[in-house]
Amino acid sequence: MDVRNELTARLDACQKCNVCTAQCPVAKVNPHFPGPKGLGPDMERFRRGQFIPGETTLDDCSNCKTCEVTCPSGVKITEMILEARRAARKGPHKTMLSLKLRLRGYVLGRAEYLGKLGVLWPGMANQALKLNLVRWALDKGLAVSQKGPLPAYGRPLEVIEDKGGRAGGAFRKQVIYFPGCYTRYNEGDTGRIMIKVLEHIGYKTIVPNFHCCGLPLEANGQFDKARKNGLYNLELMRPYLEAGVPVITSCTSCGLTLKEDYPKLPAPGAQMIGAQTYDLFEFLWQLHEKRELPLDFQEVKACFGYHLPCHLKAQGIGTPALRILRLIPGVKIRNLDAGCCGLSGSYGFKAEKYDKAMKIGNPLFEAVNVGVERGDFQEMLTECGVCKVQIQHGTSIPTKHPLRILAKAYKIILE
Amino acid sequence: MWDAIVVGGGLAGWTAGIRAAQRGKKVLIVTEGVGTLYYFSGIFDYGDLESLRHLPKHPYSLFDAEAIDRGKHFIQELCPEYIETNKSQHALTVLGTARQGDLMPRSMVLPNHQEQGSFVLLVPEGLKDFFPEIVVSNLVREFPGWQVNVKRVHAENFGEWQRMGKSASGIDYAAIWRSKEGQNLLAQEIEAIKREHQGAGSRSGKIAVVLPSLVSEYFDASRTKTYVQDYSLPVIEMSSFLPSPHGRYFAEYLKHQFTDLGGELMIGARAAALNGKPMSAKQPKSCQEIIVQSMGKVLHLKAKKFILATGGLLGGGIKVGIERKLIQEDVFDLPLYVPQEWSTSQFFASQPFAQIGVETDKCLRPLDTNQGRVIWDNVHVVGRMLAHWDPWTQRCGGGVSVTSGCAAAEII
Ligand SMILES: Cc1cc2nc3c(=O)[nH]c(=O)nc-3n(C[C@H](O)[C@H](O)[C@H](O)COP(=O)(O)OP(=O)(O)OC[C@H]3O[C@@H](n4cnc5c(N)ncnc54)[C@H](O)[C@@H]3O)c2cc1C
Ligand code: SF4
Ligand code: SF4
Repeated sequence: MDVRNELTARLDACQKCNVCTAQCPVAKVNPHFPGPKGLGPDMERFRRGQFIPGETTLDDCSNCKTCEVTCPSGVKITEMILEARRAARKGPHKTMLSLKLRLRGYVLGRAEYLGKLGVLWPGMANQALKLNLVRWALDKGLAVSQKGPLPAYGRPLEVIEDKGGRAGGAFRKQVIYFPGCYTRYNEGDTGRIMIKVLEHIGYKTIVPNFHCCGLPLEANGQFDKARKNGLYNLELMRPYLEAGVPVITSCTSCGLTLKEDYPKLPAPGAQMIGAQTYDLFEFLWQLHEKRELPLDFQEVKACFGYHLPCHLKAQGIGTPALRILRLIPGVKIRNLDAGCCGLSGSYGFKAEKYDKAMKIGNPLFEAVNVGVERGDFQEMLTECGVCKVQIQHGTSIPTKHPLRILAKAYKIILE
Repeated sequence: MWDAIVVGGGLAGWTAGIRAAQRGKKVLIVTEGVGTLYYFSGIFDYGDLESLRHLPKHPYSLFDAEAIDRGKHFIQELCPEYIETNKSQHALTVLGTARQGDLMPRSMVLPNHQEQGSFVLLVPEGLKDFFPEIVVSNLVREFPGWQVNVKRVHAENFGEWQRMGKSASGIDYAAIWRSKEGQNLLAQEIEAIKREHQGAGSRSGKIAVVLPSLVSEYFDASRTKTYVQDYSLPVIEMSSFLPSPHGRYFAEYLKHQFTDLGGELMIGARAAALNGKPMSAKQPKSCQEIIVQSMGKVLHLKAKKFILATGGLLGGGIKVGIERKLIQEDVFDLPLYVPQEWSTSQFFASQPFAQIGVETDKCLRPLDTNQGRVIWDNVHVVGRMLAHWDPWTQRCGGGVSVTSGCAAAEII
């Protein structure tokens, strides 16, 4: 084993430099939050002595992973925090308050079921979510913030079964698409456009009937369910993984979960999933490097600001969307890199966290507004669905998935 | 294919990356974490250039005077607030002692010891690791002709912190001083000080306000609204301490400069190895790609040139095994210069282990320590990773990193 990995696996790697806490967006706005160093490596020592901090303190971490990509010593901080949250679940803190929060955790964690309900009657769900009374009831009953930008529901993305028989058989060029709940239930359009783009570059897309990747469940304390979902999804992917078919994600949080958490599951596909999962643009870039990406772009004369979602940054692959979009004539993009948007999955929807989430997002909102005022760009691009919702909520600047620009350049969509 | 891939995002890596991007090159920076910039005082130490340049094998001996000046100009162009004078200039440490520095922000430069006047130390309430009593006693000692007074400032943003008995870090406070409300608050406090002094008919005319880390140098007008407050008295800012606000904002500023020039940053990724082959039996090898560990997968990244800026022992570029049995450079497995004696018993004496690093030729290409042959033709080593220097006793950390980073970028 690599000496350094061996060291980092141990908490002794932490030099107590406090750089992680200085960068943690939550610690900046919330004095009650002990910060990554406090909750991770420091507490780890207590935990070994069986002291477990309250679940609510631990819940303040939005799991944005800023601390981890910052740490000069490669300490696996969020892993320690997540472990602690698992332990706290089993701990003795069962108050009334935490009962209500658990119920909310149950609801917010079930992005998938909410999604299914929402798309059955999208019009009605959207109308209901707009009603002050409904939002008030959610706030009081479940502590879901009245002001938070809950996303709207649309026509869901259809499952596309594999009709070609054996995996990897009939079609040489095929991919598995893991759309994730947000694309599937809130933004089916993005998924459909993506399938067309993949078709344009010569790939057939299969969309098995996946469950939620598990990240929102984990973020809301539903660890067993998250694990079950992971095992179920991996089993669906297994034949394709074995046939060497790549798995594509367009949601950055699903992508991170598949790359970071699934390899740790006790299932046959686990050894393959990390290396075979690609963010959409990461996939396109490796095609481009092999000169297999069609470059039949029409000019798209536009300037964009770009927000790099925390969970894409944490994948350690840079900014492949910028690399690809810069191949399109006319496109100008500025990477704002102005920190976390604050929403972090369902974090900013929670009543007691709404104001903090908005404060966290402030530097990003400011960067967007300054850029627009200076005339640098008129629109924002970002891969993550909830970042998108939050940027629009914080700035009113239209924000899209970068895929749409690519689709426009390929003449697949008009706008 | 990139023109250059820089491994390591510390001061040396950013310098090389930005300079190369300024020269129109396509550059990727791959880095695991943020590097030691977060410990930066805000002052670039160059050390005694003349004598260091004549020390055998010292990194400065690889450069001529112009190369060193180019590095300084690079910094001054990025941050016009940085100045250098013919006389030696001093700044305050967080303890209130004077420290020499070579390239520092205008706002840090201390007045002449011989002058007379009064200092008013502004003490932000609940600032972590800041000890005003010690600062006052040191100021009194350093500046015998000066009167020293203290004034507390309360920033309501940290009211909740203070009520909990929790301290706020220098980075948190710097964020306040950079905001509109913070600047208005400061302006009011300073105006009040001025009026008090005029009222009291103070002993001498000259008054200076002293404040821990104001960090007004690195403003990115393309991402933040800038507020330029003119304070009614001169403000002297103290240099930064850990974790450093100057380092934090400088690192952000460098990152934005780099990406706005079209450079790409890949953070959270660790370079693990490289692939390449000799062009012929006698010639040095040429590197084709580096192997990088991203989340869940291994990436093969190709470039024409590679810059190694992984920061030595503290930066994580050199790994040391149990009981120092194994010591090796972590990415390219380059031979290291390792002194016979690891450490001397005197704590403040020059530590031999500080000299560990990669030996290079004048083009910063790694050498085989025995035969002195160039090993890789298109790999250049910069910053703390270089052998034969000691940032602590020679006080030249920033100077070596900036000079070597710039020089490497010029040959890309
Ligand atoms: C506490 C402290 C305070 C200092 N204060 C000052 C000062 O006030 N003024 C001054 O002039 N000098 C100062 N210095 C010295 C000076 O800052 C250093 O010489 C200089 O920062 C070294 O920079 P570097 O870029 O070579 O390395 P580092 O800053 O250490 O950066 C190395 C980078 O490489 C990355 N890395 C390492 N291995 C890998 C890998 N395998 N793959 C990917 N990335 C990798 C690390 O994550 C890190 O980002 C200080 C140094 C220290 C330690
Ligand atoms: S976890 Fe990393 S960044 Fe945080 S205090 Fe420890 S070494 Fe520093
Ligand atoms: S994951 Fe994000 S919120 Fe949680 S401790 Fe780390 S930086 Fe803070």
